[in-house]
Amino acid sequence: MKERAIELTVNGIALNITVPVHQTLLDTLREQLGFTDTKYGCGTGECGACSVIIDDQESLCSCMALASTLNGRSITTAAGLASNGLNAVQQAFIDQTAVQCGYCTPGMVVKSTSLLRKNPNPSEEEIRKELEGNICRCTGYDSIVKAVQQAAQSFPESDTQWDNAVELKAGANS
Amino acid sequence: MSQFSVIGKSVPKVDAYEKVTGQPIYAADLKMQGMLYGKIVRCMEFAHAKVIKLDFSEALKIPGVVKVLGPEDVTQTTYNTGACDEMVSDKVGHLLGDLKDQSIFTDHVRHQGDAICGVIAISEEIAERAAAKVIVEYEPLQVFMTPSEAEKTGTHQLHPDKANNMAFQLPEAMFPGNSYGWGDADEAMKEADIIVEDDFYVNKQKQCQMEPHAYIAQVDGRGRLNCWSSGQMPKITHQKIARLFNMPMSMVKIHSTTIGGGFGARLGIIAEPETCALAMAVPGRPVKVQTLREEDWIISESRHAGDYWMRLGFKKDGTPVACQARFKANTGAYFTHASGVPFTTGAWLSGMYKFGALGYQGESYFSNQAPAGAYRGYGNPQTNFVLEQLIDRALTQLDLDPVQWRLNWHKGVGDDGWCFGVKYPSCQLSECLKQGAEAIEWNKKLAEFKNQTGTKRRGVGVSVMNHTSGAMPMLLEHTVTTVMMNEDGSAVVATACSDLGQGSHTVLHQIAAEALGLDMNEVTLKTGDSDANGFDIGSHASRTTYVGGNSILEACDDIKKQLLERASKHLDTAVENLEFGGKTIFAKHNPENSITTAEICRLGVYNYMDPETGEPEGAPGQIFGFSSHFAKHNSPPFGACFVELEIDTETGEIELLELVHTHDIGRTLHPAMAEGQMVGGAQQGIGMALTEEIYYDEQGRAVNSSFTDYKMYGSSDMPKMKVILVEDPDPHGPYGAKSVGEAGLTSPVGAIANAVYNALGIQFKEAPITPEKVLKAIKENGLNFA
Repeated sequence: MKERAIELTVNGIALNITVPVHQTLLDTLREQLGFTDTKYGCGTGECGACSVIIDDQESLCSCMALASTLNGRSITTAAGLASNGLNAVQQAFIDQTAVQCGYCTPGMVVKSTSLLRKNPNPSEEEIRKELEGNICRCTGYDSIVKAVQQAAQSFPESDTQWDNAVELKAGANS
Repeated sequence: MSQFSVIGKSVPKVDAYEKVTGQPIYAADLKMQGMLYGKIVRCMEFAHAKVIKLDFSEALKIPGVVKVLGPEDVTQTTYNTGACDEMVSDKVGHLLGDLKDQSIFTDHVRHQGDAICGVIAISEEIAERAAAKVIVEYEPLQVFMTPSEAEKTGTHQLHPDKANNMAFQLPEAMFPGNSYGWGDADEAMKEADIIVEDDFYVNKQKQCQMEPHAYIAQVDGRGRLNCWSSGQMPKITHQKIARLFNMPMSMVKIHSTTIGGGFGARLGIIAEPETCALAMAVPGRPVKVQTLREEDWIISESRHAGDYWMRLGFKKDGTPVACQARFKANTGAYFTHASGVPFTTGAWLSGMYKFGALGYQGESYFSNQAPAGAYRGYGNPQTNFVLEQLIDRALTQLDLDPVQWRLNWHKGVGDDGWCFGVKYPSCQLSECLKQGAEAIEWNKKLAEFKNQTGTKRRGVGVSVMNHTSGAMPMLLEHTVTTVMMNEDGSAVVATACSDLGQGSHTVLHQIAAEALGLDMNEVTLKTGDSDANGFDIGSHASRTTYVGGNSILEACDDIKKQLLERASKHLDTAVENLEFGGKTIFAKHNPENSITTAEICRLGVYNYMDPETGEPEGAPGQIFGFSSHFAKHNSPPFGACFVELEIDTETGEIELLELVHTHDIGRTLHPAMAEGQMVGGAQQGIGMALTEEIYYDEQGRAVNSSFTDYKMYGSSDMPKMKVILVEDPDPHGPYGAKSVGEAGLTSPVGAIANAVYNALGIQFKEAPITPEKVLKAIKENGLNFA
């Protein structure tokens, strides 16, 4: 089995790991590193349950990326967003009862945070558009949209990682 | 000011913090020391075949493979993955013709995805590779996919006891004429001025819960079989697994993992038998079996598709004189819920309107489709699609208003509910209809849409429904609760009620806190441990708040009684002169003569000897409350749904503009969660009406077992939603609450179909109403919207 040594920063922790070249980032996170807050929903990029943030801004489905191609990149999972207490999106998901079974929730939180980092003041239409790739079978989406709207009111000030993120990004690029 | 301190408030869900940070443990998240991985070899090429060769030799050569088990290596006991067999007596089960017709592994493939054998390996990847190396040769058998194909003479008979593949019909011994209802519907129909009648098809919809099914099992050092499962019915799972492997229940332990959505898919058992069988072959080692999404799709039960005939008769003034219906359900390859669903499909029909007479026949047929089972609504959405459309067809002919007619003729307080002999104790459907009509501006829009021009046409539609709060008296309704008072006066409430995500644990928590006069954080819920939890039939039939909640209230009453008795001794005052004031008990006429419940609990546990008197301080004994609660009532909720939509007659596309969802809830215990059930339910009802169906190719293989090919409404597709909860406390529900869980799905189905009818003047006899069907119907009806 072909393997490759990579540097990966996960939730702010720099790691030197060896991964099989065909291993998805989802499997690296869940099976190798134990970040089980990232969920397997479909394995084909259709549901968004495995969404993570790459280099502090863009989100992607970790089932669709090979870990071996992400050398030097920084990954944030839902748990990582809460390393200094809940971020505004997470708090808003609680406040708006936007959580039911919870299986899509980490991916939803990640995707919503990524949206607000790019566009801190999205319209309802923009929020719904951004979440199209994340399936929730419980809520009917209304409470989730309301949660993102609530979070937007205090973004980016409440997103403590956002400040940290800028520094980490500079480090990775240098 | 609310008279309540905890209920009626949208408190944070008890599991919300952990869920937003991804902490809860779903079965697939668990990793244990020495864990092995199981992969089930499934027949993917055929929907109906005999296995003529099974060869493990190549698979066993792969390093890391531990064992491969075939049909003869596991128990030969057969079982039923559904739960109906545990909910009725053996006597009734016999009359219904219930079957236990499933095996762990089979050499007779009855549907695509049937399990052939299982591989155990040291990693998931090796198990998958070895599974691909198992050589299976098949002899294809005749495939039949619908009730009409199934009952044809000469079709292969799937079960020897079931002639013409008829798995079930209402038994003659219980229902003369294989029919139930009231009056003589044939005779009554003769009195009708107009009759509407048609054949409909209702679709095979999938629950699509986000967490794919995953299990772990381990035979521990004491020989106990442990199974980590996310079933909706942990105690039924407990019983079924113990019986399957012929072990006392004390030698089986079910660990409930967080449930990533259920909607009926996790009712009963799914792949627990396979997982446990693999674990029993490697004692001591945990074995994990996790399904891929496609696998989840084809192995777990769906909604019952079927052919639904209905005939309704009316007087010219709208008086409904008779209703006749026959539902031929497609139960798929195994018996599962073959009796339960066709039975209740007619029950919802019976519970809705004051027809002069009603006769319903329910049947189900085997086929080579994946087994059908429980899906949120359990027959109700099927009835809604058919009944509500036919009602509106008649009302068009009679020139009567759909809202006004429903106001006049829906059943209400004192009428027989969905199960005969059980009267509706409360009903706010009229208020639901009035408020919903006002919210969507029914009269204004109805008038507006009469004079439309152009290629885009709008329509409004209404539908009503009745559901249930638990399954009493049809099925067993039993929940056990114990409440343990800690020595500081806080409480541990133990019950097996599961939380599928809808928030039932939060609501049960609220009920306990309210009843005991404690804060939310002074109560904790002990669930998910079959050793610690007494019996509960499980989460189904929208029963957890209603039956589980009443069980908790009963156990809390037991606690209060004991606290008052202790207080009576402490305060030297008769119980009837004491008042339970939450955390303090005091004498009614002398409130200063009081004792805290915390002190009573502390003295009960730390019952030291008083050195001065030589007597114990206070009354000894830790306080436990108990309830083994059998529901004595059923308080069905009602609801009315209103939909406005726009149809592009050039593309056939339907855009939902607004959905007003009203619900007769009794009392709302948690407004935000109740609203979440209604909105989330609507998303699934919309799917049933417009987009969702499992399609099969000619060989009986599913062609859309993925989220790309099976289209559900997404965040941008959803209409503007308004939820109206009409409150009127029910006399029997906990604090007056009735159910809300399944109801949200049901009425949107008929409301959407009726709005399409209003827009185009065409009714669709087959769900879902896809753009292709819309275009075809426009063409066939010779309509021109240019």
